[in-house]
Amino acid sequence: MASVLALEPLTNGVLGLAGAVGLLAALLLIQRTLAFFGNSRAARREPILTRVVYDAVQSSPVSAEPLARLTRSDRKLVRSILLGLALDLRGDTGEAISQLYVQLGFAQKDLARLRSWWAPTRANAAADLGLIHIPDATPMLLAALEDSDVRVRQAAVWAIGQTGTPETLRGVIRLLGDRNLVVAHRAQEVLAERGREVAEAIVAYAETTASRAGRLAAIALIGWLRLTAGASLLLDFTGHLDPEIRIKSVKAAAAIGDPNFLGAFHLRLEDVAWQVRCQAAKGLSLFGSSDSVPRLRKALRDRHWWVRLYAATALAEVGPAGEEALSAALQDEDAAVREMARYLLERGDLVPALP
Amino acid sequence: MTALQTVLAWYSGFVLIFCFAINSYYLVLTVAGFCRTLRVFKEVRRPDQRRLLRSPLTPPVSVLAPAFNEEANVVENVRSLLMLDYPLFEVILVNDGSTDRTLGRLTDAFDLRRSARSFERSLRCKPIRGIYESLSYPNLVVVDKANGGKADALNAGLNLSLYPLFCAIDADSILEPDALLRLVRPFVDAPGVTIAAGGVVRVANGCDIHGGRVHAVRLPRRVLPLIQIVEYLRAFLFGRMGWSTGNSLLVISGAFGLFEKKAAVLAGGYATDSVGEDMELVVRMHRYRRERRQPYRIGFVPDPICWTEAPESLRVLRRQRTRWQRGLIDTLLRHRSMIGRRRYGTVGMVSLPGFLVFEMISPLVELTGYLLLPVLWASGLLSPSLAGTFFVLAILYMVLVSALAILLEDLAFRRYPRVKDLGLLLLAAVLENFGFRQLTVWWRVRAFAEYLRGDLSWGAMERRGMVRTA
Repeated sequence: MASVLALEPLTNGVLGLAGAVGLLAALLLIQRTLAFFGNSRAARREPILTRVVYDAVQSSPVSAEPLARLTRSDRKLVRSILLGLALDLRGDTGEAISQLYVQLGFAQKDLARLRSWWAPTRANAAADLGLIHIPDATPMLLAALEDSDVRVRQAAVWAIGQTGTPETLRGVIRLLGDRNLVVAHRAQEVLAERGREVAEAIVAYAETTASRAGRLAAIALIGWLRLTAGASLLLDFTGHLDPEIRIKSVKAAAAIGDPNFLGAFHLRLEDVAWQVRCQAAKGLSLFGSSDSVPRLRKALRDRHWWVRLYAATALAEVGPAGEEALSAALQDEDAAVREMARYLLERGDLVPALP
Repeated sequence: MTALQTVLAWYSGFVLIFCFAINSYYLVLTVAGFCRTLRVFKEVRRPDQRRLLRSPLTPPVSVLAPAFNEEANVVENVRSLLMLDYPLFEVILVNDGSTDRTLGRLTDAFDLRRSARSFERSLRCKPIRGIYESLSYPNLVVVDKANGGKADALNAGLNLSLYPLFCAIDADSILEPDALLRLVRPFVDAPGVTIAAGGVVRVANGCDIHGGRVHAVRLPRRVLPLIQIVEYLRAFLFGRMGWSTGNSLLVISGAFGLFEKKAAVLAGGYATDSVGEDMELVVRMHRYRRERRQPYRIGFVPDPICWTEAPESLRVLRRQRTRWQRGLIDTLLRHRSMIGRRRYGTVGMVSLPGFLVFEMISPLVELTGYLLLPVLWASGLLSPSLAGTFFVLAILYMVLVSALAILLEDLAFRRYPRVKDLGLLLLAAVLENFGFRQLTVWWRVRAFAEYLRGDLSWGAMERRGMVRTA
């Protein structure tokens, strides 16, 4: 042992580690003490400042005068209070909060932060400007869409979704095909909320873009927003060579529920891709047309469970003719068909929300 | 010096180095985990939760909760699951052949009606005796099946699930209301790429719980669960967060994890012949993707929290720890061909070797270290002062890692608000080294023998029932 271990280095190690443990315990205590003082001050000041902010927001015209001579820490608190309120309040009060935010100079600081060399600072500034709805920030937010950092771009997309006009929202549409998936999804989320304002531009983008991902996202938007302007385009796309485009188009068409899609859905029940057949069956459940019964009965024997489920669901929606078809399916030689028919006939009001 | 003495001397040196290495391993993981936690927190902005609630891109989730003899808590826990803040989800409770009144209580409480529900048989499982749907809650399904173990119950739940993501949880755990919404973030940001994400499991003992919710976080009065809190912070919070840094996370707790259903089914679902089915599935998913060179991500999210009851008796703790160790041995041996292979990237080159050395083999080394001490002493190779110093050094290093984990938890989360709590946690970090650690080492060594005997038993967890005010 003596050749391998020696007492002295071990003792030094013990002393070093004991010191480190002591240091950690001290750090814990210090940070708790600091947090305690910080929190108790905030707890004391926050109700007072909230009251002042509330009065300022309610005054007409909005005046930042009562908040003009605040200490640095109080200003930080006021900013945090305004951002918190902006999250919950819209309309006139939301506008008053924005005005107060601008009058107190926070908006200018955020705009300056948008030029920071540190990407998280730029991203936070963009998010705060969006949260507080500062329309004047839009040009800089549009510029931030070209930022090299993904976090900044996604924050800018979200912010434009909060503050932008239809004109600026058009700038977001092209991001549906962004090379970064997170940015593309953020653009899709923003447009899912406000896309109706730029419906035609979304349809045009779906038709003309060279980006496959962008087209798929735009098709999904047409369905989510039920943009009837996109119906004829969807009808064309239901026969597209790309199965993914067919799936999305039939799904979007099913969401819109235009009776012109009936023929296309019947055709797509024979598609080679099971997801297309599934979406077509789902679409047919909207119409409850007795013309669909023979095709749906055939789809009830599909080898894919999801197609069988949606075909049976569609049959259940048809009415007596559909119920008759389901009852007949109870005698089918295929156990899977019998099981599905029994489920649909027995479930009554128990309808799970299907994806 | 005889040859035996030389061997003993060198082995002692090895034990010392190993002891230093294992503590350094935890230290590095803790720091890496903390850095990653801060990064995640920076990326999550104030309106994020609301955005996810409204977004059409937020995928629906099937929550799978296997239950075996859980009559004490099951109703309260299902209620808490049904109250989750999430746009579209279903709760599938799988009654895995309970012999108590689990099903009866559920039927009474949720107005269950037998259903002829059809389902996709993607995975094999024990026979399903009945499927029940609730007249009051359209998103609740109860599956009654023959007993087949947790993995089998999860496979049955997976077959019944309708949605593209599934969240596997323990029926006796409590999720925070927005836990699912927080956990889904990586799937929304990178759909198709993220195939699994784990959330944090924390010890609920001592907390003020009622109505299926944790209302105030408190520490337990008993030492055993107190020590486990420190352990969970070190290993389950920062340890797993650290591993997720290089996409090399191997364990997503069976108590709380979110998976892409398609990826799990393609990988073969849960292994019914393993007691470490949670780890085994994650390793298999890594393997499946890496062998096919498909891009993927398995992440860990530090803020969604699942509260679980930690064992309060040594008997139950022993069962739990031997089961964990058997699961680890089983998974590492099943996938031994991945270890040290560049084809499997960071999983094959870093995390699997790390788990092999520092999680699987370490109790053997540690135990021989304890056994060697009297031998070395008796043979005159080790002086009492040297032995004592060595022991204190090992303990201090472990305390250092635990104290760091407590400090970092306080900086990042501050779930234990009282200063007294911090003092108690630091005390537990010290006490852990006097008896608890040695016992767990011994149980983990015994697990090798149990594994060799082919023991696949779970051992019953005696619940005191979390639905109480501490």
